[in-house]
Amino acid sequence: MEQHAIPGARFVDPKVLGRIGNLEILARTVVEGFINGLHRAPYFGASIDFAEHRGYVAGDDIRRVDWRLYARTDRYYVKQYEADTNTNLSVLLDISRSMSFASRGIPKLEYASYVGACLAYLAQRQRDRVGMITFDNDLVDHVPPSAKHFNVVLHTLDRAKAARPGNLAVPLNKMAEHFKRRGILVLLSDFYEEPDAILDAIKPLKFIGNDLIVFHVLDQAEIDFGFEDASSFEDLESGEQIPVVPESLRAEYRSMIKAHIEALTTKFSDHRIDYTLLNTAEPLDRALFSYLSSRERLMRVR
Amino acid sequence: MSFLTPFFLLGLGAIAVPVLVHLIQRERKRVIEFPSLMFVRRIPYQSVRRRRIRHWALLLLRAAAIALIVAAFARPFLPQSAAANAVTGGAREVVILLDQSASMGYGDHWSRAQDAARTVVRGLGADDKATLVLFARNAEENMRATADRSRLEAAINAAAVSSGATRYGPALKLGESILSRSSLKRREAVLISDFQKSGWSGSDDARFAEGMTLTTVSVASKDTANLSVPSVSFARSTFSGQERVTVTAGLSNKGDQPLTDVPVTLTVDGHEIETGRATVAPHASSSIGFTQFTLASANVRGVVKAGSDPMPADNSFYFALTPGEAVSVVIVNGTDRADDSLFLSKALAIGTTPTFKVDVTSTSRAASGTFDKRAVVVLNDTIFPPAGAGGVLKRFVERGGGLLVIAGDRTTWPSNETELLPGKLGAAVDRTSGRSGSLGFLDYSHPIFEVFKAPRSGDFSAAHVFRYRALQPNPGDRVIARFDDGAVAALEKTVGAGRVIVWTSPLDDTFTDIAVKPIFLPLVHQLARYVAHYEPATSWYTVGQVLDLTARAKARSDRIVVTPSGERQNRISAGEGAEGLLELEEQGIYEVRSAVASGGRPEAIAVNLDPAESDLTALDPNELVATVTGHASQAQAQSATEPQEMTREESERRQGLWWYLLLLGLAILAAETMIANHLSRKEKFL
Repeated sequence: MEQHAIPGARFVDPKVLGRIGNLEILARTVVEGFINGLHRAPYFGASIDFAEHRGYVAGDDIRRVDWRLYARTDRYYVKQYEADTNTNLSVLLDISRSMSFASRGIPKLEYASYVGACLAYLAQRQRDRVGMITFDNDLVDHVPPSAKHFNVVLHTLDRAKAARPGNLAVPLNKMAEHFKRRGILVLLSDFYEEPDAILDAIKPLKFIGNDLIVFHVLDQAEIDFGFEDASSFEDLESGEQIPVVPESLRAEYRSMIKAHIEALTTKFSDHRIDYTLLNTAEPLDRALFSYLSSRERLMRVR
Repeated sequence: MSFLTPFFLLGLGAIAVPVLVHLIQRERKRVIEFPSLMFVRRIPYQSVRRRRIRHWALLLLRAAAIALIVAAFARPFLPQSAAANAVTGGAREVVILLDQSASMGYGDHWSRAQDAARTVVRGLGADDKATLVLFARNAEENMRATADRSRLEAAINAAAVSSGATRYGPALKLGESILSRSSLKRREAVLISDFQKSGWSGSDDARFAEGMTLTTVSVASKDTANLSVPSVSFARSTFSGQERVTVTAGLSNKGDQPLTDVPVTLTVDGHEIETGRATVAPHASSSIGFTQFTLASANVRGVVKAGSDPMPADNSFYFALTPGEAVSVVIVNGTDRADDSLFLSKALAIGTTPTFKVDVTSTSRAASGTFDKRAVVVLNDTIFPPAGAGGVLKRFVERGGGLLVIAGDRTTWPSNETELLPGKLGAAVDRTSGRSGSLGFLDYSHPIFEVFKAPRSGDFSAAHVFRYRALQPNPGDRVIARFDDGAVAALEKTVGAGRVIVWTSPLDDTFTDIAVKPIFLPLVHQLARYVAHYEPATSWYTVGQVLDLTARAKARSDRIVVTPSGERQNRISAGEGAEGLLELEEQGIYEVRSAVASGGRPEAIAVNLDPAESDLTALDPNELVATVTGHASQAQAQSATEPQEMTREESERRQGLWWYLLLLGLAILAAETMIANHLSRKEKFL
């Protein structure tokens, strides 16, 4: 693979970005950015857009007292503005061992890294703060969201190695405690757990109003189980081996993975979490385009 | 079956391969890594199934195919003899020699022996013939050569332990004669016994010819404990005209453990006299005495029983006692002086076994009736009594009476009694000058002198003889003693059923001092017993002895014999050859009574086991086999009987079994492939 001056720059495929550049990333409900007026910040702040008045309490900055209103009412009121600001985009990347799987093309982890890098790049272009967290059965790397951390994020993505078994509940719970500020969270994983367990693990991320975007990354072989020869199948995470005749097992497997995806779709939808299935066999730009299109469409509906 | 290249059989270990592959191998060489087997695992077939065998038929087919192919490479062939037998049928002549001696009654020996015999019978082929020979002291064909197994088994079941002693010689001889008569090629004898050492002398002339085999089946137990009563002795005494008997029983312990406090009971005529306690050390003997009891009548039956053990038969000892009868003796002196026969009559009067009833008379007083109902007549230095002349005395002797002639100066030898009196009587010979005479030769083989045979059992040379009557023996007379000068000292002649003995010197203190020598008393008793045909009453016999009822018959009448088991046997009047003989085959009391007279107490004959049967020491069956067959072991005997075999290669080449095995193995492999393919299509997991 060709090397770039900036580590991780290879993730930013110009072709992909050429298509994504025409799109806008829009936060869902309360997340708003102020760059080009596209985002609206979820917090009140030093902005030019007045929001409301509130009674003065001790400790408030006296510079924010509305003296005109004081003149009219003889009471101290503080003016509050809607803080149009940059938002935080955190890429939560599952680097458990199962993400290293690749049947023909690129491994799932690499594919997910592309997705994460693309999104980070987009966010950076919008002057959003970009951070990232990698996890397996615990937190591995943590890059706090920052406008200057784009390169660090790319570096972290480049460095990520799928080495250990994964578990969603522990690391996501820790993350939920970690996020103090609303933002956009992009979770990339293959979700090899029961749908209910996955949802239970993810729900805390939404507690403080984060906008959660979930990408379910699967290899084509994981979806269609297109193996031919009878072989021993080894679980990448547990190491367990089961001798399998794929031909006999395929139909049942397909129906089960389909049921799994449908269950995830339903449950995420119920909890207003954006869920997208990414097939590593499909082009990366198409996946992003498909997602961002759906986001835009949703925004219009609102 | 043998193999030309048995080394290839190591390949049978390959049978384990399919099993191990089935059970142990849990992964294929090709392993596909998969992110998660979460869904694969959910499909309702557990990987655990790999660890157990699901297709037994398939496994067996594989194992069979491997075994057959390996066997084919090992080049199997049937040995020549087996092959020949397979063709000819290999009919056998089998003789089952089943020991039924008393010792087989020990523990479960007999049932095991029967089982072994039945096993032999069940192993008979369709063309085989078997003969059952039951043996103890003697052997008899119980079932003649037959192929009927059910009859043989019935005969074995019906057989029982006898009281006989063990003797292998007759059985082996009978077995050999049966086999030698057989026309069948394979001739086998199977000897089933406890192999008592006492039953085999090694010198028994039993030899099997070449081609006959002897197989032994031993039912002997390793550790045998056996208490027996091998003998009983009686001390008799007379009190108030009645005989009293003190019984002393001998006990023998053949076991390794001491026996303590063993109850020993004496029972007489059904009444328990006494129970004593005895202790017997291992491999030792001991004795126990009982209280004296009065022997009031004849044929008193007794039994001594000691303890209990796995062989109860020899724990009992039977006996029958009868009070002794006095031997009636009449001494005829040459004069009326009472002291003429003082020494003689006194010597006889103190006899106990038997007691002698002595009457003394003189030639002048003797009448023809004097000799009636006498057992012995002693002519003590007297002329031939007129009362005995005319054949009276001769007839008395011919009927079984005893005549003892003590030749002295007065003794005469009538010419008409030469048929009665032995030899020709000559003049008196004086040995007064010089050295006196003495007894120089005694025929110790004669019953009279037999008791003096052992050293220090009587010094006849100590008696001095100064005068004796010369006696010239006739042909047929037996000189039983001579003086030191060669003259006859004692001469015997048998007349009819009776005996006549002439002693040529006086048996008192005239012309000899023999009457004051220690040998006098026993000599006189021996002379009287012998001429009186005295036989001490036998209190018991041993199984196997033959009794001559003729000698015991007091009346010529038919007799009924009741055996201890209750069987009645009618015996025609005694004296008619074998009809008068009774073989004692059972332990216990035989009763012999007259078929005519129903009253009175029957004669009792006590019979006991041979004491040798109590010694269960076993002999090595191989020793017996080696002696009988002439081969060190049965295997050698077998090989000696076999004809020259073909070489192994030749045998194998003629048979070529491996072709069939190989083809069968390959066919099974083909079938296995088809079945395995069919099954694998249905499998979701390997």
